[in-house]
Amino acid sequence: MTIALTSSPMQHGQLETNRLMLLVIAACLPGVGIGTWFFGYGIIINITLAVLAAMVLEAMLLTLRKRDLKFYLSDNSALVTAVLFGIAMPPGSPWWLVLAGIAFAIVIGKHAYGGLGQNAFNPAMCGYLFLLLSFPLQMTSWHIPSDAIVDAANFSPLGWQGLRQSMLLSFPFLAADAATVQATIDGLAMATPLIESKMAAQNALLTARDTDLPLFARSSDTGWEMVNIGYLLGGLLLLYKRIISWHIPVSIIGTVTLLSLLMYAPGSTSIVGTTYLHLFGSATMIGAFFIATDPVSAATSNLGRIVYGIIIGVSIYTIRVWGSYVDSIAIAVLFGNFCAPLLDHYLRPRVYGHQRAPLLGEKRRTG
Amino acid sequence: MNQLQHSRKIARKLRAHRIFGGIKPLALKARSLRSRIMPTPIPEMLILPLLQHQGSPAAPIVNVGDQVLKYQLLAAAEGPLSVPVHAPTSGEIAAITDAPVPGHGKQSQRCILLRADGVDNAIGLLLLPDHRALSHWQLLERVNAAGICGLGGAGFPTAEKLRSSIERGIELLIINGAECEPYISADEALIRERAAAVVSGAEILQSICLADRCVIAIEQDKHDALKQLRHSLESSSVELLELPTKYPIGGEKQIIQAVTGLEVPHDALPMDIGVLVQNAGTAYAVHDAITEGKPCISRITTLTGTPLQTPKNFEALIGTPVSFMFELCGIEESRHTGSIMGGSLMGLELVRTDVPLIKTSNCLIAKSRAEFPEAKPEQACIRCGFCATACPARLLPQQLYAYSRNQNLEQLEQLNLADCIECGACDYVCPSHIPLVQYYRASKQAISSRDQQRQLSAHWQRRFQFHQYRLKKEADGLQEEERAHRIAPEAAHQARGFSRDKARQEIAAAVERVATRRRNTIASSRESD
Amino acid sequence: MTYPLVDWVSIQALLWLLGLSTLIVLGLKIWRWLRQQRVQQRSVVDRVNYLLPQTQCGQCGYPGCLPYAREICRGESINKCPPGGTETIVRLAKLLNRAPSPLNPAHGEFKSFAVAAIREAECVGCTKCIQACPIDAIIGGSKLMHTVIEKECSGCDLCVEPCPVDCIDMLAISSPATFEWTLPSTVIGAYSKLDSAL
Ligand code: SF4
Ligand code: SF4
Repeated sequence: MTIALTSSPMQHGQLETNRLMLLVIAACLPGVGIGTWFFGYGIIINITLAVLAAMVLEAMLLTLRKRDLKFYLSDNSALVTAVLFGIAMPPGSPWWLVLAGIAFAIVIGKHAYGGLGQNAFNPAMCGYLFLLLSFPLQMTSWHIPSDAIVDAANFSPLGWQGLRQSMLLSFPFLAADAATVQATIDGLAMATPLIESKMAAQNALLTARDTDLPLFARSSDTGWEMVNIGYLLGGLLLLYKRIISWHIPVSIIGTVTLLSLLMYAPGSTSIVGTTYLHLFGSATMIGAFFIATDPVSAATSNLGRIVYGIIIGVSIYTIRVWGSYVDSIAIAVLFGNFCAPLLDHYLRPRVYGHQRAPLLGEKRRTG
Repeated sequence: MNQLQHSRKIARKLRAHRIFGGIKPLALKARSLRSRIMPTPIPEMLILPLLQHQGSPAAPIVNVGDQVLKYQLLAAAEGPLSVPVHAPTSGEIAAITDAPVPGHGKQSQRCILLRADGVDNAIGLLLLPDHRALSHWQLLERVNAAGICGLGGAGFPTAEKLRSSIERGIELLIINGAECEPYISADEALIRERAAAVVSGAEILQSICLADRCVIAIEQDKHDALKQLRHSLESSSVELLELPTKYPIGGEKQIIQAVTGLEVPHDALPMDIGVLVQNAGTAYAVHDAITEGKPCISRITTLTGTPLQTPKNFEALIGTPVSFMFELCGIEESRHTGSIMGGSLMGLELVRTDVPLIKTSNCLIAKSRAEFPEAKPEQACIRCGFCATACPARLLPQQLYAYSRNQNLEQLEQLNLADCIECGACDYVCPSHIPLVQYYRASKQAISSRDQQRQLSAHWQRRFQFHQYRLKKEADGLQEEERAHRIAPEAAHQARGFSRDKARQEIAAAVERVATRRRNTIASSRESD
Repeated sequence: MTYPLVDWVSIQALLWLLGLSTLIVLGLKIWRWLRQQRVQQRSVVDRVNYLLPQTQCGQCGYPGCLPYAREICRGESINKCPPGGTETIVRLAKLLNRAPSPLNPAHGEFKSFAVAAIREAECVGCTKCIQACPIDAIIGGSKLMHTVIEKECSGCDLCVEPCPVDCIDMLAISSPATFEWTLPSTVIGAYSKLDSAL
């Protein structure tokens, strides 16, 4: 005789998955805002496109998988994937590139594994990496309105002209003639948030410091630092709200810091880069606080998280300095994802009342 | 680790320690603390289950129709893990029958139904103002006779716990005044109003279990109770320790960790590391039992919940129906959607309210939809790890959940599911509304039934092996018997110290003797001829 | 040339040393752990036998569970044990890394656990059931009444057939009415999933 009975506890906390996802998105906003301030509307167009496409795709897939549409859509997880993906994409990418990437992220990266909670890899990074391997040229060039560079003093990427040019970059078919598009596109090709063309980024930063630009100058050279600080702030918000634990960001940043301290030889002509460059010159902050901490694909025990962070940190550094790939964060995070199940299995905390964790020591005594 | 090392460790470490994990749920105690503890009126019918504790039920010694007095023994303990039941008031035994009792699901148990006569005539009580007059065994005997079991909720027979603690030797007695469940305020109210009695109970308990030190541990945000305690403790050797407010710091294992920094080994009991924990309510009941001779017939119970107009703490008679208690508080039936016995995090849901309040019921919550909305549908686990951060046993609830889902019992054992105290902290924080504790309970039951099956299998296997051995022996036995016949006489002779050679010599000697005698006879006859 | 006490290179050297020694310690631990992993392995037959229900009913066609376990390890199919049911097949399949298949109906079908009981008034004392019982759970003498020790009976069914007067019944054991937690209803247990897949 069994009776359906609710088991204790009857009282529950306030934080819910959908709210949690919204908070993650909110924490991205400072970074996105600063990015827009410096580089124009490209990021926002990317995010909007990705979000719209993600919602439609998610709804389609849920219908196909015969799930309750409203219930599963409202967990907002597709939203987070789309926002992170939009941020990672080079601004000014053509619309079809964004759509292809987000489609891969949602269809293959997420639902092919069984949906939220089952995906072994960070979907946004799956989509991103898919594009990077399939469209290396488009993915390694980063377009901002050409006038922002050519005529930096007078041109505001936030103004009407900026918006127009950004839209033209994303939707080339809007332009009356091909020449206009060409003129815009020719503007600039440089590193994306996740792609550090080593030399370019280093040079950019060195220039920035040498020339002592004012902090909020609208220059794409210094923009990087500010964007990173934006994401750092967002990350601190997440930490404060206890949505992410400190273990992953701290161990990633710590590892990168330590390695760059170890490797950097002042005065030499090597291109390994200073610690400062490694932390603020590229996408380290968004990687450490937003991408690597995606709970589903990360390690879950605290010790596991630290090792996971170290693995990612080492990979970031290695790929940046010695790898032939120009990108580091996406690959490093996916590499960490590979290791996460293993870490979860072996790095368990010592349970209350037990002598010691089964950490690579003797085989656990079950009793 | 031996006792000595432990005692040194405990003495050195007595201060507020951190416990693993834990959560800070919104405390809603103030509601029921607005008024003072109130004794309940006597209900018409009292339902007294024979099993209100962990262990075996008591055996009734009264018959239907008997007139009984208040404090009179109704059912005597049977066996060591049994606790006697006394009459909470005077009246007539209406029936001894199966009646619904609080428990998981619809459970009924043997109960004594007592129809109160409203007069409340009591038998005389044996007062004992100074407990030092008795030896600790005599005191223990009185605790045993008073029918006290752990009043904090677990309900382990107190006398038995004390007895085995005395045998093991106790360094530290912890009086658990930490009441971490967000709704319960019974112990807080008790300490606030009757601190002296609690302290005296603590002293009695200390002198029973012969602990070197005794500490009352209580959360630091219970200001009134703390003030009263400090006052009562001025002339006492009992110490006071303030603990941080955190759920589930009042759990037995957790409070030991919080007070001593030691963990109870997973395969041992608190007394094995020289610690004994008793609830503050139990200490109060012990005080009553020893100094006033009162058996355990009432307890302090919190009544709370938004459908109740006047939530408060009651000194309620054991056996009072839950519905009667609710009515005392002016329940608004229209808002009442269900009831919980115990706290909101570890309590059990009551399917009906005609069940009695028992010795372990520290709280009754009337649920309303606003306060306890229906369980939201389970979403996917996003592996956020909140649960692991909250778990006071430092388990990995999300992995336990994943393995519970596909009933991978081996992995669950590897992950120490058995160490889960079902506190519900993980469930509380889970953003995806996963009923984790229910998964664990189902899995624990699956494991235990599998273990039973395994024991049976092993037993059958042994018997089968013996069966085969027996058949073989019987078959061998037939041939063996024949051989045994052949060699038997010799063996028998050998056993008596014979040997063939010796026998031959003896025979030869005998033959020789006979021959000699014959020769002699012949010779002599010839001579006589 | 003067050497400063603390300079960039010395810090770096120190950190390198630290890192290397950590790596060495970790490596040693991993090596030790790997070695330990190798040591403890029970024999496969034992592990298979452990998963079998040990009713010793012989429905698989072998005289007892252990012989069947031996044959399984030599390649015999794993779906011949009716008392074990689907659960045992799944566990065996997992242990041996074979594809699970539904119970072979030729060997009988899964029944819930029941023990034998002799209708004692009808027993003629022929001792046939005693000889059939694989675990000696029946007592009685020639021409005397027999009975099954309920506590010991494994429910193998083997005594039912030989009884000349058909006085042995298999009775399902009534389990005590305890409350059982069920997995929350949204979940399909692994075995039921398998059942439907089979
Ligand atoms: S708290 Fe809930 S969603 Fe988060 S990891 Fe634990 S079980 Fe999963
Ligand atoms: S219910 Fe069990 S797993 Fe969950 S927090 Fe409590 S002890 Fe840990």
